[in-house]
Amino acid sequence: MRLLLVEDDPQMGLVLQNALHEAGYAVDLAVDGIDAEALGDIEPYDLIVLDLGLPKRSGMEVLQNWRSRDNHVPVVILTARGSWEEKVQGFKAGADDYVAKPFQTEELLARISAVLKRSAGISGGPLQVAGLQLDEDRQVVTLESGEVITLTGTEFRLLRYFMLHPGLVISKSRLTEHVYDYDSDRDSNVIEVYVNRLRQKVGNDLIQTRRGQGYIFGSA
Amino acid sequence: MSSLKRRLSLGLTFTLSLLLLLQWALISLVIERVTETQLLERLESETEGLLASIEVGPDNTFELNALRLSSLYQRPFSGHYFVVCTELYCKQSRSLWDESLPIDRLNSGQTRQSTVAGPHDERLFTLSRGFYKQDHTITILVAQNISALDDDIFQFQMLYSLACAIGLVLILMVQWLIVGKALQPLSRIQQQLSRLRRGETQKIDAEGPEEIQPMIEELNRLLNATARKTQRSRVALGNLAHALKTRLTLLNQTAEHSALKQFPDIQASLNRVSHDMGQSIERELKRARLLGSPLPGQKVDLEQEIAELSRTLQLLYRDKSPIIDWDIAPDVWFAGDREDLLEMLGNLLDNACKWCRKRVYIKVFEQQKHCCFVVEDDGKGCAEDKLSHLTQRGFRADESVPGSGLGLAIVYDIVDSYSGEMLFGQSTMGGLKVEVKLPQTL
Repeated sequence: MRLLLVEDDPQMGLVLQNALHEAGYAVDLAVDGIDAEALGDIEPYDLIVLDLGLPKRSGMEVLQNWRSRDNHVPVVILTARGSWEEKVQGFKAGADDYVAKPFQTEELLARISAVLKRSAGISGGPLQVAGLQLDEDRQVVTLESGEVITLTGTEFRLLRYFMLHPGLVISKSRLTEHVYDYDSDRDSNVIEVYVNRLRQKVGNDLIQTRRGQGYIFGSA
Repeated sequence: MSSLKRRLSLGLTFTLSLLLLLQWALISLVIERVTETQLLERLESETEGLLASIEVGPDNTFELNALRLSSLYQRPFSGHYFVVCTELYCKQSRSLWDESLPIDRLNSGQTRQSTVAGPHDERLFTLSRGFYKQDHTITILVAQNISALDDDIFQFQMLYSLACAIGLVLILMVQWLIVGKALQPLSRIQQQLSRLRRGETQKIDAEGPEEIQPMIEELNRLLNATARKTQRSRVALGNLAHALKTRLTLLNQTAEHSALKQFPDIQASLNRVSHDMGQSIERELKRARLLGSPLPGQKVDLEQEIAELSRTLQLLYRDKSPIIDWDIAPDVWFAGDREDLLEMLGNLLDNACKWCRKRVYIKVFEQQKHCCFVVEDDGKGCAEDKLSHLTQRGFRADESVPGSGLGLAIVYDIVDSYSGEMLFGQSTMGGLKVEVKLPQTL
């Protein structure tokens, strides 16, 4: 899952970026409204965390611009004012959820995960697909047999992306785009290695290769 | 308060009426004087003519030289008469026929005028004068019928009075129109003021007369300044909140740092402090930015605001997807600031959605110059003995337990700043019923 974090406070931005990173997301950071708007339109993010109080262009305006261009990327807004007027405006502009500052990281992570699941059409609660149950907090997966397997960071990200898009053919480049952040060295061959390691952990049948197209998760 | 228009109209009516009355009296007097003087002059010359025609005989009798007499004195009852008397004899004009006129003998140089009744109910104006001619004292009385003249004067006075009355009515109507026209800008300003009060406009657009225009401009300037000041302080408060809360979030992140994982006590206490600080900031900043009295601004569209709030709440409580029904009286209007209203209803509805099973109901209506909001839910509600506690918590604002009742405490602050009233009760739907009454005139 690749996120865009838009936060103008440099310290806060870095801390949040790290926290999100630890939670298994690839995170790009934008520090002003104009950059954020451009990045949000160009890069295929799975979700955007948008602070409303931004320099150069307000978060609300950025969100409205995205929506007016039919960019329906899920957006969680962060706001410090916490007024109902802003909440109403935010949802009207097309936000998917709302976190008021000051918040704790867990709260933000829970909201992000809920919005991601909702936008993938999966009901709330722990992520459960094809007999697997993914614990997003501990980054472990429980197999059908009840066996609990620990995942590395990249494995976790890959599996979560697969589980949020079950039954869909996912190309290697798409996986790369959504698992790595902007600054990472993107080598699609490495993805193959990670997918193979993941297969060894969760079972070969769950991730099938479609030659020339990519991978498909879950549906046999 | 007395009406400017009534006072002006009354004053003008009074002075105009007085003026016309004086003019009427003066003209009537002058006309009477002029006719009387003319009559006198004519009668005097008649008298002198008669005097000249008198020829006294040796036996103390006298004759009137008929040639010198006007034919008017020959025709019976012509309205022109004379009586001439010496010490012993009297002669009267043929026009008197068999009637006679009373005559007092006067000494030479004496003059007397009077009005007497003549033949055939005529009104006669008489002039008698005494002369001394050819050793005889002669009294000559000349009379003229003034009935016709009196009638003429009366007719003229009637006509003149009528003209004056019509003129007065016309003038009064015209001045009434002028006063109305002159005061028209004031009534426009009055309309604008009431629109301003209802929040339908942000400034007074009407042009006033020179005397009032500065006042309008000053009022507009004040309105503008207040609006700008409010806007500025709101922005400043927003910025302050943003900065403080961002730092607090940072503090939270720091508390979660892995190096602190082995000191859960420190982490917990850091979290508690930042949480308390967050609550205080929230409460106080919200209280500080409350307007209390409404700024004239956009009219609040209750229906639209409530619809949007409901949609927001349905998104916030997506898992529960509460059904929010509303019933808004068509002519009800809220005298206050839109953000305050959203804050109040947002917190009330949030509370209702939090505790409801499935349904939330909001009703807005007008009652005794108050805008009333009733928010109910079908949840478990609140025990009777705790209802008063809810209000108390509002009262003991600063001691409110963090994390609980902050929403209702903020609502209480808003209601208080509008000098409104907030009541808790048991809803027929099962849950809590909150009733807020805000005065429409502040």
